[in-house]
Amino acid sequence: MPVLKIIRSRLLHAVFISACMVLHLYAQPVVSREYQIKAVFIFNFTQFVDWPQTAFPDADAPLVIAVLGDNPFGSYLNETVAGEKINGHPVIVQYYNRTEEIQNCHILFIALSDPQKSEQVISGIKGKSILTIGDSPDFLKRGGMIKFFKRKNNIRFEINPAATKSASLTLSSKLLRVAEIFDPSKKS
Amino acid sequence: MFFKDIPIRRKLMRGIVLICGMVLLVTCISFFGYELYVFRKSTKEKLSTIGKIIAANSTAALAFDSHEDAKEILAALRTEPNIVSAALYDQNGKLFSWYPANRDIREFPEKPGTMQFRLSHNFLEGFQPVAQDKKQLGYLYLKSDLGGMYERFRVFGVVAAFVIILSFLLAWLLSKLLQKSISNPILALAETAKMISEQQDYSVRAVKLGQDELGSLTDAFNNMLTQIEQQNLKLHEFNQNLEMKVKERTIQLESVNKELEAFSYSISHDLRAPLRGIIGFTTILEEDYSSKLDDEARRITAVIRNNTLKMGHLIDDLLTFSRMGRQDIIKTIVHTDQMIEEIIREVVPENRMGKISWVLHPVPDVQGDINALRQVWINLISNAVKYSGNREQPKIEIGSVRERGQTVFFVKDNGVGFDEKYKDKLFRVFQRLHSADEFEGTGVGLAIVEKITSKHGGRVWAEGTLNKGAAFYFTLPDF
Repeated sequence: MPVLKIIRSRLLHAVFISACMVLHLYAQPVVSREYQIKAVFIFNFTQFVDWPQTAFPDADAPLVIAVLGDNPFGSYLNETVAGEKINGHPVIVQYYNRTEEIQNCHILFIALSDPQKSEQVISGIKGKSILTIGDSPDFLKRGGMIKFFKRKNNIRFEINPAATKSASLTLSSKLLRVAEIFDPSKKS
Repeated sequence: MFFKDIPIRRKLMRGIVLICGMVLLVTCISFFGYELYVFRKSTKEKLSTIGKIIAANSTAALAFDSHEDAKEILAALRTEPNIVSAALYDQNGKLFSWYPANRDIREFPEKPGTMQFRLSHNFLEGFQPVAQDKKQLGYLYLKSDLGGMYERFRVFGVVAAFVIILSFLLAWLLSKLLQKSISNPILALAETAKMISEQQDYSVRAVKLGQDELGSLTDAFNNMLTQIEQQNLKLHEFNQNLEMKVKERTIQLESVNKELEAFSYSISHDLRAPLRGIIGFTTILEEDYSSKLDDEARRITAVIRNNTLKMGHLIDDLLTFSRMGRQDIIKTIVHTDQMIEEIIREVVPENRMGKISWVLHPVPDVQGDINALRQVWINLISNAVKYSGNREQPKIEIGSVRERGQTVFFVKDNGVGFDEKYKDKLFRVFQRLHSADEFEGTGVGLAIVEKITSKHGGRVWAEGTLNKGAAFYFTLPDF
């Protein structure tokens, strides 16, 4: 029932907001609105990207979203994906401090301050079906797949189709439509 | 004019056209209703389909907060001119994007409502969830006007009107042709019936136009005519036979009657001759031999003479009676008043005139045989005088009344009267209710009255009570 759905979502919303407030007040450092949006976007990517079957060991294997480096989302990303399932795969978040810790993840948000290091990480996981996301200006040039950027106070993103293709990831045309498309031949 | 009074021809045509019209109307209305239903349904379905497509397309725009993309997607609705407005709401029910872009946002629903398309006023509107896989991302609002529907109905109306007019025309033409097969035989039958009743010609036959019910009606009608004709013929024959028989019998009767009258006349006449002899010789005895006879012989002689005289009277009356039967009546104007006065003077003896109180009403003149009618009045008046003779104050009333278109004359007295049960005997010959000793008479007078009045075409009757007087009435036809 749509009405019920709305009520439920509102209820969830209310619970969620109060939870946020509690966390906000007692536990967590302030997460900027920018990263809140980015967290939601990251989760939403899971709905518009198809991973090859080999990316999941079995049907209920989790879809792992990993954050490498300093976590800018606080607990916000956890909250966003809490209880969500994509095609039967529960969505979980993992945090890595070092490159070595990288395991079998599906989305990797690279929050490393050193671009060199980022590039290393990207080339290190080349061939694996991992969607790499970052927000450094030259992220795509260094082989990244999705880069967040700001335009007129809005968070937009740019996609590198060549990179996603080589990682055997299928991107929805709808996703491509709302994104900027990275062209390596053009100078940004 | 009521429906039942209009000619059958038009009745049939009207019936057919009316039925056709009703059928058409019902068909058109049902078809119209069906169209309306189907169109609403299909419009709803179409809108729902469009909604699903737009919703599916706009998931990424909502997921990644892309207003430009949303606007672009909604702008694609330009190709559907019936969709007047559309809007996208985000997960929280906040207006996200709308179409047409220049429309005031206050014109859009503030929040998403029921997820269903429904008709309101002249619009079809509703919401549709926007979801990627199973994840709810927002809501789509669509509003479509029903211009298409009205356009379709206008076309439908024109076509329906055209079809109805054409069908009516066809029905009218067909009914005009069809009604002939029913109304023509009926009209022909009616015409024949009218002709027969006007001309009384039962040899006419109605023309049969078919083997249907009207055909059998025509047959039945013709059979009836044949029967009537045959019966008429029989009746006619029978009537003629009867007439001939009556004529025969009348002739026979007349001759017998004449013979009888001649016989009685001759008898009466022949009886008078010996009577005259008896009277003559009795008179001689009384006048010439009175001195030689003793008292007893003289008394007997007187008795003989009286009885002989009485017999003479009787024979005279009989002669009158038979004469009345034989003689034809010669009609002239009779002044009744004058006649009554004369008769009173003649028949009432001097010594009684003063005693009787007369009530004489004026009576009308009549047409009849003057001698015969005189005889009637003489007999009735002298009867009244005679039978009231023993009263202290005899009273005789003569007059007439108009009754049922004819004049009724009457003679009433306060005399001895008679018993009602014998009143039929009064008018028969030799029938007397009183003895000759009490009142002299022959018993022929009233029979003569009866004969004369019936010969004039009238009738006579009497009313009376014993000792309280009698009334005699007779009628004569007007002239």
